[in-house]
Amino acid sequence: MDTATFLPILLGLAWLLPLASFALIVLVGPRMGRAGVMASYVATGAILGSLVASVVALGIWVFSSPAEASGPRGEHGAVASAPHEATAGGHAGEAKEHAGDHASAAEHQAQAGPPRHYTGDWYTLGRFGALAITVSYYIDALTIGMFAMVTAIATCIHFYSIGYMHDELDEVVDHEVTLSDGRHLHRPGRFHRFFQYMSLFSFSMLGLVVAGNVAMVFVFWELVGICSYFLIGFYIERKSATNAANKAFIVNRIGDFGMIVGMMALWASLGTFAFGDVDGRQGIFSQVRSAENGYRLEAPAGMVRASAAELAAEVVRDHPRNPAAAESEILARVVSWREQGHGYWLLVVAGIGIFCGCVGKSAQFPLHVWLPDAMEGPTPVSALVHSATMVAAGVYLVGRFYPVFAPEVLLVIAVIGAITLLLAASIAITAVDIKRVLAYSTVSQLGYMMLALGLGGWAAGLFHLITHAFFKSLLFLCSGSVIHACHTNDITRMGGLRKIMPWTAYTMLVGCLAIIGAPLFSGFFSKDAIIAQALSFWNLNPTPGGVLFAVAAGGAAVTAFYMFRLWFMTFTGEPRDRHVHEHAHESPPIMYVPLVVLAVFAVAVGWPWLGVVSLLEQARPAGELGQGLLLPGLVYPDEHASHAADVHLLATLVASATALGGFLLAVLFYGVRLLDPAEARQQFRPLYNLLWNKWHFDELYQVLFVRPVHLAAGAVAAFDKGVIDGLIHGSARWTRRLADFDDLIDRYLVDQSVNVFAAWTWSLGNSLRSVQTGRLRQYVMLIVIGTVALTVLINFASAR
Amino acid sequence: MQSQYVLLLSLVVFLPALGALVLLLFPKEKPEAIKLFSLVVTVLVFLLTVYMAVPSPEGVATPRFELGAAGMQDAFSIDWIPSFNIFYFMGIDGISFTLVLLTSFLSMLAMGASWNITKHVKAYCILYLLLETGMIGVFMALDFFLFYVFWEVMLLPMYFLIGVWGGPRREYAAIKFFLYTLVGSVLMLIAILILYFNSDLRALAAQSDLPGGSRAVAWDDLHLHADVTRAVREPGDNPIHTFNILALSKMGQHTDLFDAELLWGRSLQWWAFVLLFIGFAIKIPIVPLHTWLPDAHVEAPTPISMILAGILLKMGGYGIIRICYPICPDAAYDLAYVVTGIGVLSMVYGAFAALAQKDFKRLVAYSSVSHMGYVLLGIGVWTATASTNYNPDYWAMGMNGAMFQMIAHGISSAGMFFMVGVIYDRVHHRNLDEFGGLFGRSPLYSGLAFGIFFAGLGLPGLCGFIGEFFVTLSVWSYSKAMAVVAAATVILTAAYILWTLQRVYLGAEYRGPHGDRITPITGREVAIAAPLLAFAIWFGVLPQSLFNYMTPSVNKTVQELADWTRDVKESGQRGASRLSINQAPTASTEGGAKRVASRGQR
Repeated sequence: MDTATFLPILLGLAWLLPLASFALIVLVGPRMGRAGVMASYVATGAILGSLVASVVALGIWVFSSPAEASGPRGEHGAVASAPHEATAGGHAGEAKEHAGDHASAAEHQAQAGPPRHYTGDWYTLGRFGALAITVSYYIDALTIGMFAMVTAIATCIHFYSIGYMHDELDEVVDHEVTLSDGRHLHRPGRFHRFFQYMSLFSFSMLGLVVAGNVAMVFVFWELVGICSYFLIGFYIERKSATNAANKAFIVNRIGDFGMIVGMMALWASLGTFAFGDVDGRQGIFSQVRSAENGYRLEAPAGMVRASAAELAAEVVRDHPRNPAAAESEILARVVSWREQGHGYWLLVVAGIGIFCGCVGKSAQFPLHVWLPDAMEGPTPVSALVHSATMVAAGVYLVGRFYPVFAPEVLLVIAVIGAITLLLAASIAITAVDIKRVLAYSTVSQLGYMMLALGLGGWAAGLFHLITHAFFKSLLFLCSGSVIHACHTNDITRMGGLRKIMPWTAYTMLVGCLAIIGAPLFSGFFSKDAIIAQALSFWNLNPTPGGVLFAVAAGGAAVTAFYMFRLWFMTFTGEPRDRHVHEHAHESPPIMYVPLVVLAVFAVAVGWPWLGVVSLLEQARPAGELGQGLLLPGLVYPDEHASHAADVHLLATLVASATALGGFLLAVLFYGVRLLDPAEARQQFRPLYNLLWNKWHFDELYQVLFVRPVHLAAGAVAAFDKGVIDGLIHGSARWTRRLADFDDLIDRYLVDQSVNVFAAWTWSLGNSLRSVQTGRLRQYVMLIVIGTVALTVLINFASAR
Repeated sequence: MQSQYVLLLSLVVFLPALGALVLLLFPKEKPEAIKLFSLVVTVLVFLLTVYMAVPSPEGVATPRFELGAAGMQDAFSIDWIPSFNIFYFMGIDGISFTLVLLTSFLSMLAMGASWNITKHVKAYCILYLLLETGMIGVFMALDFFLFYVFWEVMLLPMYFLIGVWGGPRREYAAIKFFLYTLVGSVLMLIAILILYFNSDLRALAAQSDLPGGSRAVAWDDLHLHADVTRAVREPGDNPIHTFNILALSKMGQHTDLFDAELLWGRSLQWWAFVLLFIGFAIKIPIVPLHTWLPDAHVEAPTPISMILAGILLKMGGYGIIRICYPICPDAAYDLAYVVTGIGVLSMVYGAFAALAQKDFKRLVAYSSVSHMGYVLLGIGVWTATASTNYNPDYWAMGMNGAMFQMIAHGISSAGMFFMVGVIYDRVHHRNLDEFGGLFGRSPLYSGLAFGIFFAGLGLPGLCGFIGEFFVTLSVWSYSKAMAVVAAATVILTAAYILWTLQRVYLGAEYRGPHGDRITPITGREVAIAAPLLAFAIWFGVLPQSLFNYMTPSVNKTVQELADWTRDVKESGQRGASRLSINQAPTASTEGGAKRVASRGQR
């Protein structure tokens, strides 16, 4: 069996195992041992199986056909970077020479080719003529890497959850819910249900990663969303939890709306959703970056044609009753239409649309509001959903869809990422809920990734995705351990916990060092790459580049500050709340062993000699990013330019210096307490209030969107009742009035005239009554007169 | 062979009516026996349709449905009122058969849901079975007159079922339903007569593969009665009218019989289209002709709500696909933006209205308005125009999506109404603000309800997604603005469904009256809800198993209309092209040719 058949089976297995676990727990969950305790073993076993399958797949990938794996692609980085720098430099100086550069770029890219991948269909959902929507797979190094990362973290979290959720095995008293009679809620535990959702979630996330077309990505995108809905709203009795769950799903749907628009733009013009070429049919990637064109981005024929629909219609009308001739004529004209600029805007719409979905899922500005509220879910959920998987999905999709993004779209991604980065980091400074600090830090780090991807740092952004997944899940699990011990989320009530729970404290310290990018920790390498890329981008694009670089560097300082504020406030100094301190305890081994495992990863996963980056490099999309068509001044450097010694050194210095600055500030405030936070708060009161209230986004959205929608809904319902039904009732009323009027006519006109007639008849009869005398002689007389008269009449008549 | 078709189709249609006759003999005092008998009848009908759905064994000719065949199957035509060319003419294809399956399936489940009916059980069951005959008959009838008869047969039982067994405002709701539907059927009757008196099989014969024709139409596919064919082949000048829906479609597409001006500069087929469309659209229902629906749904007893939402609404969509578009393509082409615009309006309007409802059942009713908007939108996306070089694929996708949406909505809305009914039976109110905490009280019921409501929400993996998604995807190449509005509806749908689920099922405790009566869901209720959810999952995961039945027929409909667009409507020189189809104009079409020439000049 060769790799091409084995890998899909292996990853398919890794993908479906959690589904099997989900189905099993749904059907027999409550009967699995005492209070469904076995459910956790089933779910954990399933995800462990997935992990094994993923690791085997990784091994196969690395060791299979090494020539292919590290051949042209591997050399690409080493050999090709020098000419590319020259090309990039040329762009900066004289952007107009662009056309001249293509020859060399195309030639060079032609050798590179698309990355090694395997793609194919599993089964078809629907097929209409040439259009088909399928369930398919697309496996490249990125897929393999994501599988390994997701299953590894999910496995750690499953183990951890067995410990964390053990309260749910017995009857639970929910102290956050007060019933109408003033008591706290007592409810049966829901241990199995938690693992049921976790399994479904793992299945959905893995399906999203293995998906071979955009429609399937969207399917699992939604499933991930609904799983997070269930998990965030796990405490269904808490109003805040169910609100947060609704908010998460609906805000995500707003992003999905954009994603659907992007998908429609792709579907209507390209007629396919597949990433790669399946069964000889061109996928999206090879349509937008064709080999003939040197893998340079251009509007594919389908888009040009869809955009020039009017022109195409003219051609068709010129060839009446000859569709084949019209078709070939249209194809012949596509090139000139493309030169007129047709189709490019569709490419931009598609790119921005898909990115909208990523904005929702990865909690980017302006749809970042759901993620902090999502901390209502149990902490292991936060660790899984909001560090390594669901929010990572958006970044993953940007990475996956990278070949399709036009430079203008990339700039949008970078700007959104930069705004998110600063916004979230600033809110994290004042937050006091341990999980919310981490949540905002997640949002901010996701902003980093988006910024990196948007600046052309494909590998940098995805590398940070992977390192961040490890240290952020570590941080979340540590915070879970703290919450488990203290029964509170409020860091102002903690302090001095270091001595009581050393495992948690020091693994969390590792996480903090990793996230701020301390040297030799994983975050150092990935953040370094991002800042180097920002610098490299700045070299070519002075105006936007400078701002974006400043954001990237400044963000590092803020990150260091709030992370160590968190760590110092939680673990060092005097305990602020005796009660909390006395009850605190270290967590059981089933919880801290995963912490240690994750801590090891959080340190080591970034080490260059471990090869994460070179694995990612194997999936690097073919072709250069190039230059904007709508924004001709926008020029993208090749990512390898950022590896140049001078750029890299400067970036390292900047990153380390800013991080150190933020760290020292945190030490001054919260470590050695030379500065008083309260005083600073007093001095910057308005700013503090703004940050404390999360820039008032929730209130703003309430006024801008939620209330207007409810008003509109009310207006529509009122219109229904008042106007439409009013008209109906009105017409019914008028019909009845007409009937009444009819009745009046009947009674007074028709009946009256009939009555008058009757009266006449009556009076006539009355007057004739006088003839009825009863005397026989008179009657005989009348008969005789009558007979004579008749005879005379008949005679007269017959005579004529 | 024909006798087999006659027997099978007639049995499916009239078995319920026969059952109703037998029920007359039952003593009134045995309601359980009456219900059981009715249930058995509906089960038998369902089994018959399932038998038809199972593919025949290799090489054996059976009257079962043949997968992959696009045309009419099992069609037969029997003398009924020959002097007016009215026939007992029935048949099935992928479009109608899937709806017949849905009907028999839901009728069976809704009969199971009728166990709580205690008032006048015998009358209820008789009317119920008559209703089933009417519904299945509508989907199978291919003679326009027969279609109309079934359409009316279905109307009366429904009126009584709402008006007698309904809630407090049942009379109001029943009369509203009756009047609305009656207006629709009167308009339809006018259109039927317009079409009938302008139809001429002789003109069609000139375009057919009968001797002397242009071979554009396959005569045998019309399944005309042998006597009629004989009459057509005899020379003569008098037009031969017909109620045959298939023949009328061909006349609409291949002759200019319906192109004459009727009123105010509009052609005859334009008026026929408008009248038929309004008639069908009331059933769908569209905004602004939808207000009968919330009232009827709210007042109707649970099983009747299931039937209303699950099947009756589908007749509107079916009529538009089977009758409006094929018979009046010219009008449909001109009014395509009106049709799709109404579809989009219904989607958005229904979703907004649902968001504002306080009554659980009303909310589900408005969600039906919103979901059925997709059907209209999918039918109407006429993308096979010059700008796509008459590529019918996106339109086929839209219409297939619309058909799928009809089935999916039949399952999810019937399920939703049943779920409302289950809780209503216990606590006797539907006020959304007075629920809460049901998940804790009745987890199995709530779990099933979540599944079914998520199917309505359009969650991937459940049936609602496929229909909505396919329709939405097909719209962009037709109209970008409508596509964007259609896509935006997903946000509203999520909002009203999630908000409802939160208010009803989540939360700490039940807030309404009769909290002590919330008992676990019974086995009978599970037996109704679980199959619905199972089908919702099945069609969500393996939509191809349903598409296999409907796609060939839907694609055929679309392809014919696409060809018509290319060869007739947009060929630039309408009259000339028609003549060129008439390669051998015969005496009987000369008049037609003249009319075409005059139209060409106009």
